[in-house]
Amino acid sequence: MSENDRFERLLRAALPPTIAGAPGHELWTRVVDRLDAPRRWSRVDLSLAVFVAIMLSMFPEGLFLLAYHL
Amino acid sequence: MADEPDGELLRRFVHGDREAFEALFTAFHAEVHRWALRIVRDASAADDVVVEAFWRSYRGRARFDASRSFGAWMRRIATNAARDHLRTARRHAVRRRSSPDAQAASAPDRGVAEAVERALRCLPPRLQEVVTLALIEERPYAEIADALEIPVGTVKSRVFRATRALRLELTRLGIQP
Repeated sequence: MSENDRFERLLRAALPPTIAGAPGHELWTRVVDRLDAPRRWSRVDLSLAVFVAIMLSMFPEGLFLLAYHL
Repeated sequence: MADEPDGELLRRFVHGDREAFEALFTAFHAEVHRWALRIVRDASAADDVVVEAFWRSYRGRARFDASRSFGAWMRRIATNAARDHLRTARRHAVRRRSSPDAQAASAPDRGVAEAVERALRCLPPRLQEVVTLALIEERPYAEIADALEIPVGTVKSRVFRATRALRLELTRLGIQP
């Protein structure tokens, strides 16, 4: 038996293949709840908005540049 | 994989019809769960991946090409969601590895299975998923390549790199693989 075969056996012995179980019953409800949840701003979006606001307060002339790019 | 749904159902789904989406969920969620479970290896985490994957699919429904396989598309989305889960789990695993308790726990008298699992969880998610699917679940390379949207050659090279990294980590934990 090659070294690779031995290693794969060790892996499978330590972590046997999964046995498919039934998914939770409430999954559809969770999907619907997630879809209907109000969209929240992510941290990245918030940080970007704060950064832009700070930059605009420091360099108000940048507003024209921003408007041009939007 | 469940039978491919008819074109009309898919067209309604793309247009945002909730009933069509529910029908697709009913037909495919068990298969998606099975696939997610293979990657994350935890039933509750697989449930979360299913919810996340179907939510992403509905949000990105406009990008679905109704002439392609819905099952394969869902599997790709679920793979990405599962990878995000692995990424979070890995951060915890790496933190545990560097804690004093984990150093003590890595002594050879701890179970080999535990050490192998810990070593696996410390791999980057892209390597974790291929090693789990290819070596543990013994899925065909072509199927893995399709789900990960990468060439078969890349799957093979990732398996090679993952194996090498796992061996190193296991040796570090005092186990001769």
